[in-house]
Amino acid sequence: MSQATVPVLLPTGFGSDVSNADREEARRRRDEWNAVDQSVRSQSFWRDTGKRFLQNKTGVAAAATVLLLALAAIFAPWLTPYDPLLGEPTDRLQNIGSPGHILGTDEQGRDMWARVLYGGRLSLAAGFIPTVVAAVVGTIIGVTSGMLRGVVGTVLMRFMDMLYAFPAILLAIAVGSSLGPGLTNTIIAVTIVFIPPVARVAEQATRRVVVQEFIEAAHLSGASRFRIARSQILPNVLNDIIVYASGLVGVAMIIAASLSFLGLGSAPPAPEWGYMLNSLRGSLYTTPLVTIVPGFFIFLTSVAFNMASDALREAMDSRL
Amino acid sequence: MLRLIIRRIGLAIPTLIGVSIIVFILMTVVPGSPEAGLVPEDATPEERQAIRDQLGLDDPLPLRYVDWAIAALQGDLGHSQQRRREVADLLTQAWGNTFILALVSAAFGIALGLLLGYLAGTRRGKIADRFISVVSLGGLSIPSFFLAIILLGIFAGGLKWFPSGGASFDDPITALRSLVLPVLSGSLITMAITARVTRAGIVDVFGADFVETLRAKGLTEFEVRRHVLRNALSPVLTTSGVQIGALLGGSVLVETIFRWPGMGLLLYNAISARDLVVVQGATLVIALTFVIINLLVDLLQAAIDPRVRGAIA
Repeated sequence: MSQATVPVLLPTGFGSDVSNADREEARRRRDEWNAVDQSVRSQSFWRDTGKRFLQNKTGVAAAATVLLLALAAIFAPWLTPYDPLLGEPTDRLQNIGSPGHILGTDEQGRDMWARVLYGGRLSLAAGFIPTVVAAVVGTIIGVTSGMLRGVVGTVLMRFMDMLYAFPAILLAIAVGSSLGPGLTNTIIAVTIVFIPPVARVAEQATRRVVVQEFIEAAHLSGASRFRIARSQILPNVLNDIIVYASGLVGVAMIIAASLSFLGLGSAPPAPEWGYMLNSLRGSLYTTPLVTIVPGFFIFLTSVAFNMASDALREAMDSRL
Repeated sequence: MLRLIIRRIGLAIPTLIGVSIIVFILMTVVPGSPEAGLVPEDATPEERQAIRDQLGLDDPLPLRYVDWAIAALQGDLGHSQQRRREVADLLTQAWGNTFILALVSAAFGIALGLLLGYLAGTRRGKIADRFISVVSLGGLSIPSFFLAIILLGIFAGGLKWFPSGGASFDDPITALRSLVLPVLSGSLITMAITARVTRAGIVDVFGADFVETLRAKGLTEFEVRRHVLRNALSPVLTTSGVQIGALLGGSVLVETIFRWPGMGLLLYNAISARDLVVVQGATLVIALTFVIINLLVDLLQAAIDPRVRGAIA
């Protein structure tokens, strides 16, 4: 099974699911577009990327969905009169569309719409924070070991390889059960799972860059190694890392939801989507539609992130 | 080839040791006192200390690791107080069940993924390709436990076609029936990833010069595709090792939902009961299985593909 859902994703070879033909296609479209719109040629890479991204309808729809979900989570108190933690025992397991409860109620009579909205805060945090932290830490480790080929670099990457030797979900479970339940611990666990793959991507990209002539030129000009890392290497490896990390947000959400599904995530009664799905499992045969609501939102968010990530990859035309 | 096998196994040993150290440390830094479950509530500090000494809990960490690792090598993974069983016994039973499930899921997911990836790759840009892309993106994004619950609701609850859980190997028909839903829930992601990788491989190989040569030689389209497929399979093989490992790790969720008596269910119950000896043992065994599978896949790949052989040796 794949819980692996999640886990499976990570170890897949970096970019191995994108064919050269697709890359060429993206490049061709970019050149075509640049040729048409002369005025933007001199603009920065990021503006170009942004404009190309905006032309991809799927990407825009996906990004809009993510934005909408985030806004709904942030403004949850304005969107529902109910308290996500307080239920009305007489209103237990109302079906979808029952009066006053658009998405029904759970096994304790709590409004599902309210729980989904507030739960979005936890689930989105669990998707974003580990990805961002792991991207930063993994980049530092990867660039360091890519530049210093000696003992330090080897030891760092060997250690990363060892963490990498675990199926992702299993490592998260092991770290999670070691730290104990809680949203913070889930975030730490997912971050630890993500650091090795990001470091590997950063290291590979760094190795491609360090052999180029402008790095040698920088060395000859007397720049310190830290300065070279910051101003010569980092800008050249950042694309790869951003594209890779953007694909991790959906994975992070699923791992975090898996942990709370197993009782290792945010503590009940907090409305985390994975935990909600598990606690509603018992009512699968009575109110099936209500039961799948939290799962649907995990799926929707994860699809949206994955589609946005694919579109971003195409717009940036990185070497992926 | 023999030198390569030895070299590759040599590389796997430090990884195995590293994995065991990580598992050991994770389960040792756990907050709370490990002897708590072993002594009576009203034990005197002296009694507690006696237990701690007996378990070696006050020894320095490296020493404790070595003791633990030597015992583990001899097949002793500790004793579960909660289950009143040797951890190794619990794991041996569960390992087989998980392995069957993971293997069948991997075979099903990879076969279906190859087929879809092949169809998409040979019809690049056509409707079939787009449709398969959407399906595999969905497959990547759906959490296995959510899919499991949906399948359970439809096929076990509503239609009653398949049992809602448990494993039964009494007769082949029941065994197959109890495998269907867990395999479907687990293998969708495998299918999705395999399809994406196969498609990318096929599209790339079709663009290679040798395909032109084959056509110029007058081979039929069927024969050309056979050559293309063989060349596109290498990355698929690489990911398939990872897939089986992921299926092993991911088994925790699917097995929990379908009450499949494997390592995943064992791990889930141990986590709920805070039975850390079992968590430690199960994590170790799953991770070791994963390392060994990847080793086998690497070797298999080297045996099949001379380019890989050159790269490793």
